Amino acid sequence: MKEIDEFLRENKPAVQDDPTFLMETRRRMKEVDGIKAEVDRQRSRGRVALIVTLVAGLALGVLVTALAFLYPVDASSVGEGLWEGFRAFLDTWKQYLIYPVAAIAVTLSLVLTLGGKKAAQL
Amino acid sequence: MTQERFIDLVRVEQEPLRRFLLALCNGNAALADDIAQDALVRAYVASGSFLGLSKFSTWLFRIAYNCYIDNCRKARLDEAPVEAALAVPSDDSSDGSFRYQQLYLALEKLPEKEKASIALFYFEDRSIKEISTILGIPSGTVKYHLSMGRTHLKQYIQL
Repeated sequence: MKEIDEFLRENKPAVQDDPTFLMETRRRMKEVDGIKAEVDRQRSRGRVALIVTLVAGLALGVLVTALAFLYPVDASSVGEGLWEGFRAFLDTWKQYLIYPVAAIAVTLSLVLTLGGKKAAQL
Repeated sequence: MTQERFIDLVRVEQEPLRRFLLALCNGNAALADDIAQDALVRAYVASGSFLGLSKFSTWLFRIAYNCYIDNCRKARLDEAPVEAALAVPSDDSSDGSFRYQQLYLALEKLPEKEKASIALFYFEDRSIKEISTILGIPSGTVKYHLSMGRTHLKQYIQL
């Protein structure tokens, strides 16, 4: 065993001096920095977009609430009007109602069948 | 960690790191350098998470070893032919070149953990504890791999 110990210690693999190695490392690190900067930019843009959306939503909510208080409407009459309108719509177009129902049924069956096949493949 | 600080640390560690990977890659210097570059990029990306709980070199070697393992999985390095070892460039005498060929051919036959333990212990003079941290295995297992590695090498190398 001592011979093997000596052999290994005396025959360390020799690394050839390569001045381009560190240059290549620097180049790759610059690329990484570029990617990092781009990711940070995207993140900050996303953050700004989120804040703008939140502020806009809040402002819109405040505006709608203010309008609701300023111009009150009898909600029950609006509701009845809507329901009547819906019933009139159904009465007029009821002979065509079967088509959208059939289309939904076909789409659902296709989606479920394809989904089942994919799950089976996995 | 700034780029300059990182480069300063790498400047010190690059030779041992490349030597370690060269041993793992059975003398294939191009592949070893590719893996070393990969490891350095990974280390740079993760440098923010280096807490200094272990030495920088230990941390870097661990990343390099993981890169090597990933590379083995991708390229099935285990089954690669031994041309790299047979074409070892050497400035030494032909006797020295023959010894390197013998060494790489023998290392190639070792299982990964044994090869890594041998390389770290004999070529990099790392302690058992450091090897255990780098390879992510208990110290007792490192000792076992070293012992088995020595036994196997004795069979493969004609002294």
